[in-house]
Amino acid sequence: MTFRVGVIGTGSMGTAHAAAWMRTPAKLAGIYSPDSASLERNAAQTGAAIYHDLDKLMDAVDVVDICAPTHLHHEMIVKAASKGKHIICEKPLARHVSDAQDAIDQCRAAGVMLLVAHVVRFFPEYALAQQAVLAGEVGHVGVIRLSRCAYKPYRNDPTSWFHDRDKSGGIIIDLMIHDFDYARWVGGDVESVYARSIGARFDDAPIDHALAILTHKSGVLSHIEGGWSYPPPTFRTSFEIAGDRGLIEHPAESSAPVRIHMAETAPASMVAVPRSPLDEDPYTTEIKHFYHVLNGDITTPRVTAEDGLEALRIAEAAARSARTGRAVKVSEVSS
Amino acid sequence: MIRIGLMSAAHLHAHGYAEALRAVPDVKCVGIADDDQERGQSFAQQHELMHFESYEALLDARPDGIIICSENVYHAPLMKLAASAGVHIMTEKPFTTTLEDGLTALEACRNAQVKLMTAFPMRFNPPMREVKALMANGALGQVYTMNGTNQGQLPKRHRAWFVDKALAGGGAMMDHIVHLADIMRWYLSSEAVEVYAQSNRILYAHDANVETGGLVMITFANGVFATIDCSWSKPLAYPTWGGVTLDVIAEKGVVNINAFKQVFTVFNEIRVLPRCAYWGSDSDVGMVAEFVNAIREDREPSITGIDGLKATEIVIAAYHSAEMGQPVRLPL
Repeated sequence: MTFRVGVIGTGSMGTAHAAAWMRTPAKLAGIYSPDSASLERNAAQTGAAIYHDLDKLMDAVDVVDICAPTHLHHEMIVKAASKGKHIICEKPLARHVSDAQDAIDQCRAAGVMLLVAHVVRFFPEYALAQQAVLAGEVGHVGVIRLSRCAYKPYRNDPTSWFHDRDKSGGIIIDLMIHDFDYARWVGGDVESVYARSIGARFDDAPIDHALAILTHKSGVLSHIEGGWSYPPPTFRTSFEIAGDRGLIEHPAESSAPVRIHMAETAPASMVAVPRSPLDEDPYTTEIKHFYHVLNGDITTPRVTAEDGLEALRIAEAAARSARTGRAVKVSEVSS
Repeated sequence: MIRIGLMSAAHLHAHGYAEALRAVPDVKCVGIADDDQERGQSFAQQHELMHFESYEALLDARPDGIIICSENVYHAPLMKLAASAGVHIMTEKPFTTTLEDGLTALEACRNAQVKLMTAFPMRFNPPMREVKALMANGALGQVYTMNGTNQGQLPKRHRAWFVDKALAGGGAMMDHIVHLADIMRWYLSSEAVEVYAQSNRILYAHDANVETGGLVMITFANGVFATIDCSWSKPLAYPTWGGVTLDVIAEKGVVNINAFKQVFTVFNEIRVLPRCAYWGSDSDVGMVAEFVNAIREDREPSITGIDGLKATEIVIAAYHSAEMGQPVRLPL
């Protein structure tokens, strides 16, 4: 069976998702963005129809793939659900926990599927490490360290929605949510969070960087680092999972089997995206997985909307902790 | 000629210090005393040193200074003993395991007017020093945050007392917070005002009754926040004892330090694990030389007892925080 997909947004994620849908049996039926220039560029690359009206795009497809700025996720999910469309939403599922819970409730009531694109679960190194832990290769997990550092998105454009905390949530909600989700995938549900960020402590710092300590219900501890602090074009991720029978180490250098040292460097992309040379990029792996979920070939998605909600709950607890200076219980972040 | 004695070989570092004393000019190691006679004798034999049957006997030999490498909880009584004999002191880290011990030891040394140095060898680690110099000349601009790790294998492999709370004063937090806490204070010239910590006992759970995992976040008076992972999270199958890393995130850029990165790896048919051969500089030599030179030049050592006490205070605060689940304000 084939179905029609409409991608909302033509930023780095919208572009990656649109390209990925081209590699599935689904039909990329249309794309929407308020930005005409990028819309035309993406349409030229994908052959997808251009929509200047969000309602018309949603009406024309079976599945809506939301790659819009975070603060728009909730209203777009609700709109698509009301039209009976299945939904894929880029992370974070919503800007606020209450909105994410409402989105899940509305999709359930409308009988549509809601999937959240936590792509880190589809990066092969992260997926393989989770499998190794599950297979008992390190025994009982004790301490997890996850790090994700790049430069600030649209660092030279102060008007970008990324810099508006009301819209993006800042580094803790936008960037670190990847690793909150992964920590929970490997270490189980989280009891409490303590976090500090440059943004919450220093006015007018040109960079942002945050550190968080998670205490999982199982007693596992996680150290999460998120950085919009390295100069472009750096994007480095690393992880370490220590158990009572072994240790998995994945230093940042391992993702870079090719190091290019050019006399002159091309300008870095506006939004940093981690990449490693692979036959299939993780966004395509993710979208193919979602295709099979939507098609009914896979009954248990690797990541659910509820996972997206719980990751957001941890992120909101971390943001609250960074603001108040207190450790925050995740259960206190109510829906 | 400066004459230095060794008090106890309970801590493995005593071996490094005995060797370092040979590398520093115009220094003589007068010998070792240890409350464990057998341990003291075998140490003396191994390093071709005089063995004294008691600490008092060692002090009677009138050394200029002594280096204390006892179990952690004996640091304070040995400092007091040496101070009462008017002998200068370098004590292994952690300075003491309680604040009370730290304050009374400090007072005893002050009253006796003996020099007191805490053994923080990371201050003599050339990669660490290089970044200290970068910061001192403003190359990094304002520092905002630091992310440090001082992880290791279960130290029980070398010495059983490390995992005995009665002798070590605690587990991974007592063992592995102070090095980086001291480096951070040194880098920032600022004191800790708040500490948050969580600990657990999942790694090596069957081999230790103390915490083996720990994550700590320190906030300094100047606003900088920094984490230390003090976990004994390296398995016995790891090719080295562990390591020290520190990332410094600053206005003008980021620095990644791996203090023991200067290794090459040997793979062969004899060993199951590869051997990491460290070829970087030996921090012990610089540190022991500093102690000796402070005595020779009759000046304060560059790392004092106060520095030791401040690092210990952070550790004590970390234990309080881990118990309460909320950050703890300093000073305690």
